[in-house]
Amino acid sequence: MAMSMGAARRGKPKIRPPKRPTSETPIKDTWTKLANAIREIQNHNASKLSYEEHYRYGYNMVLHKHGDQLYNGVKALIAEYLDRLAEEKIVPTFPRSGGTRGAGKLGGGAEAIERALEGDRFLKAVKSAWEDHTGSMRKIRDILKYMDKGYSFANGLPLIYDVGLTLFLSHIIRSSKHPIHTHLISTLLSQVQLERDGETITRSTIRECTDILLRLNVPEREGGKTVYVTDFEPEFLKRSAEFYGLEAIEELEKGDAAQYLRRVERRLAEEADRTVHYLSTTTHPALQELLIANLLTPHLQTILDMPGSGLVVMLDSDRIADLRRLYSLYLKVPRDAGKTSLRAALRLDIEERGKNVNEGSSIEAGPSTIDQDDDQAEGKGKGKEKEKVKSAPTNNALSSALKWVQDVLDLKDKFDNILDSAFMGDKQVQVSINEAFQSFINANPRAPEYLSLFIDENLKKGTKAKSDSEIESALEKTIVLFRFLLDKDKFERYYKNHLARRLLYARSASDDSEKQMVTKLKMEMGFQFTQKLEGMFTDMRLSNESANTFRNYLNRHGALPIDLSVNVLTASYWPQPIVATNTCTFPTALQPAMETFQRYYDSRHSGRRLTWQGNLGTADVKVRFKNRSHDLNLSTHALVVLLLFEDVKSGENLSYPEIKSLTDLPDSDLIRTLQSLACAKFRVLTKIPKGRDINPNDKFEFNENFTSPLARIKIMQIASKVENSKEREETQEMVDEERKHQVEACIVRIMKDRKIMSHNDLISEVAHQLSTRFSPSMSLIKKRIEGLIDREYLERTDDMGSYRYLA
Amino acid sequence: MSQEEDYVLLESSDGYTFVVSRKIAEASGTLKSMLDEEANFEEAKNKTCKIQQRGVILLKVIEYLAYKVQYAEFNAEDIKEDFSDRIDPYIALELLTAADFLEA
Repeated sequence: MAMSMGAARRGKPKIRPPKRPTSETPIKDTWTKLANAIREIQNHNASKLSYEEHYRYGYNMVLHKHGDQLYNGVKALIAEYLDRLAEEKIVPTFPRSGGTRGAGKLGGGAEAIERALEGDRFLKAVKSAWEDHTGSMRKIRDILKYMDKGYSFANGLPLIYDVGLTLFLSHIIRSSKHPIHTHLISTLLSQVQLERDGETITRSTIRECTDILLRLNVPEREGGKTVYVTDFEPEFLKRSAEFYGLEAIEELEKGDAAQYLRRVERRLAEEADRTVHYLSTTTHPALQELLIANLLTPHLQTILDMPGSGLVVMLDSDRIADLRRLYSLYLKVPRDAGKTSLRAALRLDIEERGKNVNEGSSIEAGPSTIDQDDDQAEGKGKGKEKEKVKSAPTNNALSSALKWVQDVLDLKDKFDNILDSAFMGDKQVQVSINEAFQSFINANPRAPEYLSLFIDENLKKGTKAKSDSEIESALEKTIVLFRFLLDKDKFERYYKNHLARRLLYARSASDDSEKQMVTKLKMEMGFQFTQKLEGMFTDMRLSNESANTFRNYLNRHGALPIDLSVNVLTASYWPQPIVATNTCTFPTALQPAMETFQRYYDSRHSGRRLTWQGNLGTADVKVRFKNRSHDLNLSTHALVVLLLFEDVKSGENLSYPEIKSLTDLPDSDLIRTLQSLACAKFRVLTKIPKGRDINPNDKFEFNENFTSPLARIKIMQIASKVENSKEREETQEMVDEERKHQVEACIVRIMKDRKIMSHNDLISEVAHQLSTRFSPSMSLIKKRIEGLIDREYLERTDDMGSYRYLA
Repeated sequence: MSQEEDYVLLESSDGYTFVVSRKIAEASGTLKSMLDEEANFEEAKNKTCKIQQRGVILLKVIEYLAYKVQYAEFNAEDIKEDFSDRIDPYIALELLTAADFLEA
């Protein structure tokens, strides 16, 4: 190397020109040899050929400017070869029937198998032609590599391999001599059809043929897409649409929604599988869309409404799997149509169920199942709630109230469960379910009362042994129902009443649960809503504390003849009926104690007025009957009545008017008290004449012969648990009255802020602000606006459409 | 058959033979196609390629193929030695045609 470099440096190096690649053989011979070689390759005899030699022929032809002759010659050879392939290999395997069949079933049994085999044979032939061709094309490409580089590429012609593909398309797939194209497409379609009908076919063969179609591109002028997309896919989709359109109708006629959905699901999976295994995944979206469009979209409502198997039945028997299938299939329907119809159907169904629950609670007349207060066990079994009997504390009414809540809760549980497990917790579906619940719960005018009763039942002690966690979960659920209530102010009123009873009669099962409930309500409704409830708790706590100081006071000032414990209630916190001024003449036996407490209280707080409420207290008293003494625990009113009989000699009696004038109790309270003493389980008084109801001309007598195995007897006030219609009217009136104030307050609040506001804006703003508590009616708001105008809080502006605030 | 141990025979027109590792030989596009076992031409069957070039040219070609394989994974700026330093101007043109033919 060093020597030769030296020579180069010495100058005048003689560089020999490279030997011109002159071909010893003339071009014509070269071509003949090459053409023979190509035929040999096509006949699978490549191993006899020298690559180097034929590569050099191609190289020489290109170098000697015979590229075009070479290129076109090879093309002609390939075309000739392909024609031969078609003739020899493919045409003999044509299936008997061409692509004349429609979408219908292709017969079954042996004929189908025969067809499957025939089709398979044909497809295999196409496939083997393809393999032969591509195999030889690869070798030809290798040998003519120099041509691709030096001629095709340089002249902007397609490379020889691609030429081979194009030729395969024009000479085999779309051959003008043989109807291969028609046969191929129809065979592929009928193979698919056979599989849809349940026959077994050779998937791999189809896969290979669709691969060929995917590999080949149609000429630019036809869009340049693959043959698969251009020729096969549209036809395939058309056939599939026809097939599934028919199938949907056929299957629906069988009338089983669940089964139909299972079939749809299976079909979807099958077709997805099909596209993956032997069609193109590019077909998948179109095919799925088509399936849904044919199997589901037109039949959404039919499936839901299908008698005996539709949505209602699925819900009835909690067929979660079916529901889940329904949901996931309906989800696929475009433009949310499936979900929308499902939501509508669900809503209707729940409302229907809700209606049944509502009706069930008002016609329920079966025997009481809930054993509540002992003295009512033989209460007014027959009493219907609408009866005019003033004291109709029917167990039925209570139990039907409880049943209503329980039914609603059960329904809610059921749908929560279905929502979670079948509808994947879909928020929109949940909205529909909630709307339905809201609508039927509020369709029951007594919902607020029932709900409060239900909570009362759970918080009251002694009803049923329930664990804390059971109570907790029951309360949690009631809060859910509470959210559905529109008339929350009404609920508040009932709740206050029930809470007051529980607190004053010391019947709360646990303070913790009570407070929890209030906390829950507070979280739902805010501080204002529970302010008064909390005030009630505070009163109770303060009263307990003051009981101690009162005892100390007594120690210093001399003991009382009786034990006295007093609950001091703040009038504004407690429900109106409880703190309403109540006349009652307390017997002399009680007077000293009351006066002492009055003195004690005045000494501690100045400027507070104390009113005695006899209707809420209880008393323990020892009563001597003929046989033995009993400790009676009874209401203060009952004690007042009972003490009257202390002065009555045995055998004498007191009439109702006498009792009334002596006690000064209002009729309703007195009747209730007398009932508890004379008509309930423990009859310490005897009523003349006997009977259940108290009439103004009844007479009463101390029952000396009273016997009972119990030493201690509890005589509860018969308190109507469920309101009768008159009370309900009263409650409604009070609620309405309060609403008036609330609406006015709200209007003033808004107007103070805005000064001027149009009529419609004002109404909608008021409705919006109050909607958390109740939904005010248009007319109510309008009336209040009138009222405020009369009282000159507002005035109409000149254009009549708006109001102005007058400060 | 491991690629490392696989050798092929290259034969020049004036009768020189070179035993070359297949890996190095296949650095040439033409030789690669020639030796393609799937296409199975005569050369692939016999693992012998007759090249219509003088031995001295073929030697340089093989030397270059080895150089190409050695630096295949390098960045251009990291390659210190320049193969053109190794080319005798006397054979440059002949080498050029051979390179064109062999896709080297």
